[in-house]
Amino acid sequence: MREVDKMEELKRAFLDMKRQEVLDLVKKEIESGTELLDILKACRGAMEEVGKRFETGEFFLSELIYSAEVFKAVSAILEPGLVSTREDEDSKGVVVFGTPKGDIHDLGKNIVITMMRSQGFTVHDLGVDVPPEVFIKELERTEASILALSALITPAFVSMKEAVSLLEEKGMRDNTFVIIGGGVTTDFARKEIGADAQTLDPTEAVRLCKEYGERRS
Amino acid sequence: MSRQERFDAAVALERPDRVPVMPLMTAFAPRSQEITQGEAWRDPEKGFKAMLDTFNDLGGFDRLYKPNLFWPMIGGRFCSSPVRVLIPGRQLPEDALNQIDEKELFSRDDYDKLAALGWNAFWDEHYEKMSGGRPLERVISAQNRLLDEYIRETEIYHSQDIHPLFGAYVDSSIMAFSMARTLTQFTMDLYEVPDKVKAAMDASCDDLIQNALDVVSKTKIPLVFIVLERGSGFYYRPDIFEQFEWPYLQRYVDAFLSEGLTPWFHFDTDWSLNLPYLTQLPKGKCVCDLDGMTDIFKAKEVLGGHMCISGDVPASLLTLGTPEDVREYCQRLIDEVGRDGGFFLTTGCECPIDAKFENVKMMIDVAKTYNGSK
Repeated sequence: MREVDKMEELKRAFLDMKRQEVLDLVKKEIESGTELLDILKACRGAMEEVGKRFETGEFFLSELIYSAEVFKAVSAILEPGLVSTREDEDSKGVVVFGTPKGDIHDLGKNIVITMMRSQGFTVHDLGVDVPPEVFIKELERTEASILALSALITPAFVSMKEAVSLLEEKGMRDNTFVIIGGGVTTDFARKEIGADAQTLDPTEAVRLCKEYGERRS
Repeated sequence: MSRQERFDAAVALERPDRVPVMPLMTAFAPRSQEITQGEAWRDPEKGFKAMLDTFNDLGGFDRLYKPNLFWPMIGGRFCSSPVRVLIPGRQLPEDALNQIDEKELFSRDDYDKLAALGWNAFWDEHYEKMSGGRPLERVISAQNRLLDEYIRETEIYHSQDIHPLFGAYVDSSIMAFSMARTLTQFTMDLYEVPDKVKAAMDASCDDLIQNALDVVSKTKIPLVFIVLERGSGFYYRPDIFEQFEWPYLQRYVDAFLSEGLTPWFHFDTDWSLNLPYLTQLPKGKCVCDLDGMTDIFKAKEVLGGHMCISGDVPASLLTLGTPEDVREYCQRLIDEVGRDGGFFLTTGCECPIDAKFENVKMMIDVAKTYNGSK
C-alpha cells in the first residue's frame, strides 16, 4: 500500500471512532519505518477533520471526546521519539490553560487542551483551582500570548476577573488573548470579566485562538 | 391563589394568577446568612435555619428547592451513582461550594455484573470496594438519618405554608452510568461496548425507579426530580439518546405518573435537539426545567401548550449582573415563555453561591408584580 493510502486509512479509522484500529496502524507504521512526524501530521489531519465535522453538526461532543482520547493515546506512543525532532516554530501558538481558583472541574478543559495540542498549539496546563497570580507567572515564564480559563461554577468568575486585572497591572493585557469557556460562562460574563472571547464549543475555542495568532503575526 | 394552586396550575398548563417563582437555592442560603458553608454542612440545624431565614428574607416564594443542603435518601439504596461529594470544611476550604469528585466507580468489566445483578444488588456487593473500604452499614445509617431529617424539616415547612419541591430525586439512565464511569470513559464504552452498556441499563432501570418510589413513600411529596445532563444532544447524537436514555426516561415517566407523581426533568446542558421527543409524553403532567444552555424561547415553541417549562435566569446574570439586568431578563421570560401559562420562573440550575442577594430578590419580585406586557 502506498504511504498516502496508509495515512488515509489511519484517518478513516480515526473518523470511524475505532481506537484499537488507529493504535494498531500507528504501531505498524512505526515498525515499517515511517517518520514519526508524518504519523503525527496524519493524526492531526484527522483531528482537524473531526473538528470540522463537529462544526458542521455531523459530529457531536462525544466524537470529540472519543477522538481526543485516541489522539492522546497516539501521542503517548509517538512523543518519546518526537522530542528531538520537534521544532518550536511548528507551534501554532503558546497557551496557558487552567481552571481558576474556586473550581475543580476539568473535563471541558481537558477536551479543549487535547484539541489544541492536536492542532499544533503548545499548551501549558496548570490544572484546577489555580490562583490568578499563578496564571500570570506562567504567562511570564512561557511568554505565552493566550490565556484560556475554563469553569463550571460561578466562584471562578472572581478569579477570572483578578487574572485580567493582574494582566493590566503588569502591562501584559494588550499582548494577551484571554478566552473563557465552560458551562457557566456567557457573553455577559465575558464582558463583565473583561475577556476577549467566550465559547462553550471546543472547536470554536481552537479556531478563535488560531485567528488571534493569525492577526498577531 | 395559594402557592400550591399556583404551582399545580403551571404544571397543568393553566394560567395562574401570576407566574410561580423559585430560586433553586442551596449554598446561596448559608452565604446570604453570613455563615460558612462548612458550618451549614456540619450542623444540619444551621443549614435548615439558613434556608428558612433566606426564604423569609427574600419575601417567600412558591416552592422551596430543598429543605436543607442534603438530598432525601433511603437506607442502602442509591437513586444516583454513589459519587463522592467534597464537603466544605472537610475536603474543601471552609466556605467553598461543595463539589463532586468525579472518578471511575466501576470498571468496564463490571457491566456484565450489573447486567446480571441489577443496580441495587450490584452496589450491595460493590460499594465497599469502590469506596475504599467504607462499610455499607455506615452509609445506610447516614442515609436513614438524613431521610428522617428531610421528613422532619418538611413537616416544619408545611406548617408554615412552605413547600419543598421534590419527594425524591433520581438520575436518568445515562446520568447514573456516566457519573459512575466518568463522562470520558462512559463515552468510550458507548462506542466500544454498547451492548454491554445496554444490558446493564436494562437490568438497572427498575431498581432506580423503585428506589425513587421508596423515597417518595417516606417523604410524601408527590414530585420526582429527575437529574439529566449527560444524555443531551449537547453530548450525543440522537440515536444514542434514543437507545440509552429515552426508553428508560419513558419508563420513569410511566411509573411516576401511574403513582400520581409529577416528573420534573432537570435538564442541564443544551437539550434543544431532544425537546421534540418530550411531546410524546402526556400533556400537562411533567416539567421541563432548563439551565440556560437550552434556548428556553425555542423550547416554548416546541413544548408550549404541552409541557410546563421552568427556567432559566442564568448564573452569570445573578452573580455579575445588576437588579435591572435581572428585571429585564425575567420580564422577557414572563412575556415570552410565560405567555398563556405553563411557566415556572426559576434560576438556571442552582442559584449560585455568590449570587447578589438583590438580584435573587429582584427575580422573585418580578414574578410577584409583573403580569406580562399584554
